[in-house]
Amino acid sequence: MTELWVKNACVIDPIRGINGEIMDIAIRDGRIVESVSDRADVIDAQRCLTLPGGIDSHTHVSGTKVNFGRYMSPEDMRAGRTKRKGKMHVTSGYYVPTTFGNSYRYSAMGYTTLLEGAMAPLEARHTHEEFTATPHQDMMANTLFDGNWAVMDAVREKDVRKTAAVVAWTLKAARGYGIKLTNPGGTEAWGWGEDLTGIHDMVPHFAVTPAEIITTMIRANELLKLPHSVHLHCNNLGKPGNYQTTLETFELVPDLNAARQTLYATHVQFHAYGGGTWKNICSKAEEITRSVNSKPQIVMDMGQIMFGRTMTMTADGPMEFNLHCLHNNKWSNHDVELETGSGIIPVTYSKKSAVNCIMWAIGLELALLTKNPYQCLLETDNPNGAPFVKYPEVIGLLMSKRYRDEECATLAAGVEQRTSLCALEREMDWHDIAVMTRAGQAKALGIGSQGKGHLGVGAEADIAIYPIRTDSVDPAREYRKVVEGFQKTRYTIKRGRVVSRDGEIIVDGANATFWVDAKVPEDLKMENDPEFIKRFEQFYTVRMSNYPVQDVYLPRGRRIETEVFT
Amino acid sequence: MRVILESKVRAKPNLPIEAEAIIPRNFLKGTDLVVYEGNKERTLSELFWIFVEGTAVAPENIEVILKGDTSRIKRVGEYMDTGSIVIEGDIGMHCGNFMSGGTIEIRGNADSWLGREMRGGTILCRGNAGHYCATGYRGEKKGMQGGKVEVSGNTGDFCAEYLAGGTVHIHGSAGDFPGVEMRGGELIIEGDATRPCGNMKSGTCVILGTVHDMLPTFEKIERRVLPAWKITADVYRGDVANRGKGTLCVRC
Amino acid sequence: MIEHDVVCPFCGCLCDDLEIETEGGRIVKVQNGCALAESTFMNDVRLPAPIRRTETGWEDISYQEAIKETAEILQGADRPLLYGWSSTHGEAQSVGVHIAELIGAVIDNTSTVCHGPSILAIQEVGHPGCTLGQVKNRADVIIYWGCNPVEAHPRHMSRYTTYATGFFVPDAQRERTVIVVDTRRTDTAGIADEFVQIEHGGDYAVLSALRAIVRGKASVIPAKVAGVSKEQLIRIAEICKTAKFGAIFFGLGLTMSRGKYKNIRNAIELTDELNRYTKFVISPLRGHGNVYGSNEVFTWMTGYPFAVDFARGIAFYNPGETTAVDILRRGECDAALIVASDPGANFPRAAAAHLAKIPTIVIDPHVNATTALSRIHIPCTAAGIDAAGTAYRMDGVPIRLKKVIDRGYPDDAEILKKIYDHLNGGKGP
Repeated sequence: MTELWVKNACVIDPIRGINGEIMDIAIRDGRIVESVSDRADVIDAQRCLTLPGGIDSHTHVSGTKVNFGRYMSPEDMRAGRTKRKGKMHVTSGYYVPTTFGNSYRYSAMGYTTLLEGAMAPLEARHTHEEFTATPHQDMMANTLFDGNWAVMDAVREKDVRKTAAVVAWTLKAARGYGIKLTNPGGTEAWGWGEDLTGIHDMVPHFAVTPAEIITTMIRANELLKLPHSVHLHCNNLGKPGNYQTTLETFELVPDLNAARQTLYATHVQFHAYGGGTWKNICSKAEEITRSVNSKPQIVMDMGQIMFGRTMTMTADGPMEFNLHCLHNNKWSNHDVELETGSGIIPVTYSKKSAVNCIMWAIGLELALLTKNPYQCLLETDNPNGAPFVKYPEVIGLLMSKRYRDEECATLAAGVEQRTSLCALEREMDWHDIAVMTRAGQAKALGIGSQGKGHLGVGAEADIAIYPIRTDSVDPAREYRKVVEGFQKTRYTIKRGRVVSRDGEIIVDGANATFWVDAKVPEDLKMENDPEFIKRFEQFYTVRMSNYPVQDVYLPRGRRIETEVFT
Repeated sequence: MRVILESKVRAKPNLPIEAEAIIPRNFLKGTDLVVYEGNKERTLSELFWIFVEGTAVAPENIEVILKGDTSRIKRVGEYMDTGSIVIEGDIGMHCGNFMSGGTIEIRGNADSWLGREMRGGTILCRGNAGHYCATGYRGEKKGMQGGKVEVSGNTGDFCAEYLAGGTVHIHGSAGDFPGVEMRGGELIIEGDATRPCGNMKSGTCVILGTVHDMLPTFEKIERRVLPAWKITADVYRGDVANRGKGTLCVRC
Repeated sequence: MIEHDVVCPFCGCLCDDLEIETEGGRIVKVQNGCALAESTFMNDVRLPAPIRRTETGWEDISYQEAIKETAEILQGADRPLLYGWSSTHGEAQSVGVHIAELIGAVIDNTSTVCHGPSILAIQEVGHPGCTLGQVKNRADVIIYWGCNPVEAHPRHMSRYTTYATGFFVPDAQRERTVIVVDTRRTDTAGIADEFVQIEHGGDYAVLSALRAIVRGKASVIPAKVAGVSKEQLIRIAEICKTAKFGAIFFGLGLTMSRGKYKNIRNAIELTDELNRYTKFVISPLRGHGNVYGSNEVFTWMTGYPFAVDFARGIAFYNPGETTAVDILRRGECDAALIVASDPGANFPRAAAAHLAKIPTIVIDPHVNATTALSRIHIPCTAAGIDAAGTAYRMDGVPIRLKKVIDRGYPDDAEILKKIYDHLNGGKGP
């Protein structure tokens, strides 16, 4: 039995309605309990800001695409090198760090749970291998279905139950967590070097539209009672004028779940552009947030960009190629048979570029214009908008109008005319930030019941104690203190153990991987469907028996079983 | 001030030494510097006999002289910004990496990556230079960006790869692919070269000797007299395999 | 007993449809595999126990002794080299990287002598690729450049390309155009619809010319480029531009001929250019079964796919400097651990000769040419035969190798962990 007693913590725990109370937290064997014995180890939080461990609900840290980003970037690897030290392995890289680099830096920032944003089921084993080498965060993997042939066939047949059955089989085979759609239908079209231009375009050869894929998958998701909703990267990412597509997509979404959203729209900054060319691009954040403010069934995340060099990586292959044709830097592409695509290119977001400045402003606008912080979560689509180590700066910008104004003064012309950022007075408070970085994520991902995102009795003891005294720092003025404070916790506690102290990792990791075993009625099981098996064996290049991820890849796998539907 | 470093005899003479600490500025505060031999950390005095003559108040007045077997010593002059280094014999890889000012003179031969990612200053190599003379790092889009590298002898392959600025002057011959991926700056080869300027985007290359295996994707523009070299040259534009607008001048 | 859907660990194709029949702990029959697969499973003669060189020959030693001596040799070295890794599973590769970072070693894999140049090219311009099923289901134009899959990857054409029935290519043989580019008329050239014979070392020039033609600059190109007529080049460019889905596969004929990584870069940039007209992909034909896995494991752990130098504590990478062949040729390293590969057979002579001068330890199931240069040889399981583990196919698809039989050998990952423990004062990685 191990016990820990955190005293004098200034706790903000939005899910439990606690906002800045000084209290003590008792921990036994990894979970929060009512009380501990007097033999417990004691941490005096000294009235510092104490939050549930941070949760990133959309990041790219593990798997084929991320590793290819590393593989092709020796120039980035020399940017963040550290030596082996104590319990810490060697790390390399700044915007695509090694797995240990990711894990240590997230931990130093108080993050204890991550959702990998995109995993192709055929390559799931790779993602899980990297999860075990990302030892200090509990992991989950969004599983890609955007170009899944079996799904598109079922969608064409308007068969929600069959769609659900394919999803259930694939999630289990991939040990995945939820449904991810990246440019639905577009990644299949990219198999021929084409893309779709809207949600009512037909996918070549499959006679379905993105709108049909999205709506059918939403129904299948709810039929399966998956903890997370459909997680959507909308069509037309990064194209001027794409906000129309985004709004049309939002209009498709019914409100089907009382406990959480019905659609999670990711990195919406990249989907909120007006205008028709790069020359007249402008912000449509007001239109987007007006829609979201009236639709509790939608949660989005920011997709904030920050200035500097980074790497874009997404399953959206055609988008990456278009971007490549603009930048003419290196370009990688990796289409995955019968499933999805992916692309990778390095980019530099520059303050000299009006387009980049507008993108930067749009992300902030989205957050500031969304009334309920549970509906707009904080992330950068790491590393697409910026490496996650920039989160503290994003927090600073959201909390301080002065910081935003100072930044705006250094930008290329256009931000003031083509976005509304400069007119926004809102300054977020500590509670808003706690929602946007943990409580909101826990709710959106449906992991509150797994003991994530709050500090109630029975919760997993994932806790971040920041060197910030909320009673003496004015974030509007002293935003630098806020940024610094969120960069390095005093303590990051993971499942009851102090893993990071003042930025230094002090134990070996022991993370868990959450995955969903969605139950379907016996007659719908794909493993018994002769047509599914036949098609699999004919058109995949691995045998169906070799496809599912073996349990050995999840040494600490946590299976979430759903109730069978009828 | 003059600092003379004479290499000591080593038990394992083939072990590489990494000595980025050897730049003039560092000797302002003394000679208590750290270098690396294989995977071990050493003090400068473990590997060198150190003689200091005179004093200096500013780094630009410091001259560092390396004597003895210095052919395995890497990264001498890395990030050097002022002063001078004279190497009496051969020098190891990465001499003058990221150099931004001052001068390095190598009386012998230089190993590969001489002046990698150089920004400014001057490197003079009296002997031959190895592969990747005056280039960049793997995956990086820009190689040497400024300053001057002059080699009296020959260079190995890929000389001035990714050259983006500054001048590279080879008095002898270059190996395969000099000026490959060039995007700026000036490359002069007085001797011969094989397959020069493959995939170049911009910049100028002048070759006074014979070109072997000229690439098929250079467009001949004109024949012109180059007064600076007192020659008549064929002037090519390329590489048209990409959208290149570089200039390649070959003596005719 | 017959085991189905067994993965062949021999080459980068990782065919996973073999049937292996075992009888009393022995493999008696291999079905569905090519000749190379059959030989991998059937001619699996092992070194019985660890051996150590004596003044006159070899002596048997215990695993414990062999492990302890290996650790001591590595511990005492100023520039240890850990090389190989491509014929074992990811689990062993991962322990190898941990050993390297612990003792400040250089760790390198066999990419150094095969597709290292491809990696360097990818680091310059990226890699437009895909999984092999995309090619199988869609490609109507296949190009084999500088490779001979008929001999080196015998089932590549029947499983993934020329002869494979694809969803959008139901009549593969009729619907696919096959182009073979090589310096000599290989067996693969025999089945090509179009064979392009290039003069030795002329690949770069031909690729440049093709790029220019695709870009509409044919007027610049001379009548013949490296022995290939301009007419043929224009014809090839046209076939590529009008393809629905084209795929280029290349081998050592391109990576290891004059110009090396610049050849690959040029081929990738041709692919890139073609994507402005249609869909095109390019992929290296990887040799050793899990060499791509070693690149993957090295990359997520260190940031670099091969040639990683930990001498300064941090990971440093610079092929040409930190690559095994170069380190050996310069006589730098003073101890070597060779795992799951045979540099004695594959390295240039000067590099291999240095291995004989220093204490070299081999961990490998089989006696090979490196054994003759080594001081200690520790036998272990062979991944995919008597050990399970992860391997990455040439297109990045991870596949679990199976354990088909038990021959009583310790897994190389276990041996390496024990070496690590010794080096780390009894504490595991």
